[in-house]
Amino acid sequence: MANDESWLDRFVNKLHKKPKPWFKYFGAYILVPIWARLTPVKRLPGGARPAIQPGDNVQSMMNLIMPLKRENRSPIGRAKAALAIAENRDQIFAGLDNVGTVHFARFVIVNDNICMFSFYDGDFTNYIRDFIATIGGAFNDVVKLVEGGDALIPCEENVEAFIQWIHEHDLYQVPDTPTDFLRDQEDLNGDKAVSPVNDDLTLLPRKLVLQLRANANVSLGSGYRAYPGFSVAQVRKKLELGW
Amino acid sequence: MINLADLQGNILRGYTKKPHVRYLILEVAEPGAARRWLADSVSGRNGVPQITSGDWGKNKPDTCFNIGLTYEGLRALGTPSASLKMFPNEFVEGMTARAVKLGDVGRSAPEKWPAPFNEPKRIHLIATIYAEKVEQLDVDQERALTDVKAFKLLDTREGYNFPGDFVHFGYRDNITQPRFEGVPDSQRYPDRQPKAPLGTVLLGHPTNLEGLMWRVPEPAELGHNGTFNAFRVLKQDVAGFERYLDHAAFYLFVHPKGGELLPHGDEEKIGKGPSRHTALREIVAANLCGRWRDGTPLALSADAPDPNENLTNFDYVGVGDARCPHGAHIRRCNPRGGQIVQRIANNSRRLVRRGVPYGPPYDPANPYDPAKPYDGDEPERGLLGNFIGASLGAQFEAMSCDWLNLGLQDPRITGSNDPISGTNDPGTSWFDLPLKSGGTIRLPGFPEFVSTRGGAYMFLPSLAAIQYLADLR
Ligand code: HEM
Repeated sequence: MANDESWLDRFVNKLHKKPKPWFKYFGAYILVPIWARLTPVKRLPGGARPAIQPGDNVQSMMNLIMPLKRENRSPIGRAKAALAIAENRDQIFAGLDNVGTVHFARFVIVNDNICMFSFYDGDFTNYIRDFIATIGGAFNDVVKLVEGGDALIPCEENVEAFIQWIHEHDLYQVPDTPTDFLRDQEDLNGDKAVSPVNDDLTLLPRKLVLQLRANANVSLGSGYRAYPGFSVAQVRKKLELGW
Repeated sequence: MINLADLQGNILRGYTKKPHVRYLILEVAEPGAARRWLADSVSGRNGVPQITSGDWGKNKPDTCFNIGLTYEGLRALGTPSASLKMFPNEFVEGMTARAVKLGDVGRSAPEKWPAPFNEPKRIHLIATIYAEKVEQLDVDQERALTDVKAFKLLDTREGYNFPGDFVHFGYRDNITQPRFEGVPDSQRYPDRQPKAPLGTVLLGHPTNLEGLMWRVPEPAELGHNGTFNAFRVLKQDVAGFERYLDHAAFYLFVHPKGGELLPHGDEEKIGKGPSRHTALREIVAANLCGRWRDGTPLALSADAPDPNENLTNFDYVGVGDARCPHGAHIRRCNPRGGQIVQRIANNSRRLVRRGVPYGPPYDPANPYDPAKPYDGDEPERGLLGNFIGASLGAQFEAMSCDWLNLGLQDPRITGSNDPISGTNDPGTSWFDLPLKSGGTIRLPGFPEFVSTRGGAYMFLPSLAAIQYLADLR
């Protein structure tokens, strides 16, 4: 593990203050890998963090990125994914209605990943569990096209593993504040900060670099809203749509 | 039909005739000796108290004895890692890792828990003794701890069921429990809710969520017929609660719609004499819980407590819906057949509750001193609660984070927390009292009456599982 005094640290501190073009390459392809070996950083789990004030736990964001199986990384594979969603369209609508806590969900294919982005209220595991109970079949149709998905089907009989898998494929939401980011790292490492170096906020960018190596895809922040959060049912009730 | 002899007795039975309860909080000293102890606890040999099963045969046991294991406990006993991996995440992580979800923040945060809960990884096994008399607890404790090589006693917690099943805050508790399919109906107060599938409380059986099964840790002897328990030490600020009722009563006394809650002249109906203030206090207390303090459900009798009223035969539809506040404790915990946001979740988050008060009863004849802002001089008192269900995540945690706190199940309470046991902050908390006219009176300023002082997620193994663990090498 690196400490304050190591040559590498001093070197990096200097460089990242005065970046030079060659450093970009050196940094990305040589330095960061060495550094990551010296200071291993675990992948941070995905998804929204529950708020301390329970009332704030509405309109949380899920950014689920599921890599298609190797054999599906082709126009045909992507078409299969598109069909899996289209064929389950009615089920998905009925599911959203019955689960009652999802504002909206959308499916996107990006670079051979099938992605599901949604905004939901309350606890993440409750949301996924209720979804499995309501439209597990639709999930099965999607997940069977995805790497690592076979072990989870049928999701109705692998509820815990399925929720865990989704959690792992949900993007880490990089907090907007350094203290929150450090807290996430500390939580993951158990106990409190590992070394004084890790606590030093001036070195945050380095920790962020290493974290973004461990979590290559992330969400920046946890979504920004133009108005305070309301639950689906609050909106529906207010608009007299029934809830 | 389930084989009751394979289940630990405290899962389906309340041991109501054994009001004294002591929890021995234990750490495995030597795994070999601890496993021998487990074998003895199944057979009742070598002085170790015998585990009480769900089948008592003809002889009622004098005392009852049951155990729960934490994840660390299973590990310390040598459970193979392939089996350990099959336990659900929340159990593996343990209660302290789930603090934010459970509302264990601020003064309830695990960092503030006293010993032995400040070192959660050392808590391996919690043995519970239930007896008619305190002396019997002492005898069984000594028997349980004779072999010092097996377990180290970290600490104990002790409670006593007050006569009439009253708990601190003065409510009658221990009324509602789920009834289960395939189990002889032994509940004291059968109700009209659908019977819960056995998988609500035992691993390896169908659950209430159609087609969903919880993972059963293998081998089958280990997981099958086991269940999970959230053990919670919940401190209750009784003086603060009574003080709040006073404030609320004053507030309603002068509230322009207060007369709708309690028509003038009806004070004595509440059963606490002619004082309007006292009657209003009781009305507030009843609304917060959903039951009058004597247990009468508001859904059946909203105007006054009625000792002749049925205790459980109600639902939150029709008149029952209008009479009981949406945010009342028992309605948040169990919305029964009433309308909720998560339509498929009605009846799916039910829990078996085994709670016992600790600390001396609060003496209303010698009430708090209003000049003292806090109950610093009051002895600690509260509830040693056990919330039992086959999935901690789908039942205890789901209830805690989305229903008790947040109030996601009904848009009329979303954003508020349970008035009795929620993570409340006087600056933001509120509770709506329903009025007959259809409106509500909003009560503000709820402090946190209940704070967490410890707890652990436990696995309650079947008798076959205890034997399996005893046989590990
Ligand atoms: C010290 C804190 C608490 C107190 C004083 C308390 C008090 C009560 C009382 C008086 C009742 C009504 C009696 C009955 O129906 O049997 C009740 C019911 C219930 N409570 Fe609590 N409670 C507390 C904490 C909790 C917590 C933390 C949970 C769950 C996470 C919970 C879950 C329930 C459930 C499920 C019911 C039964 C509701 C029904 O089925 O109608 N309670 N509680």
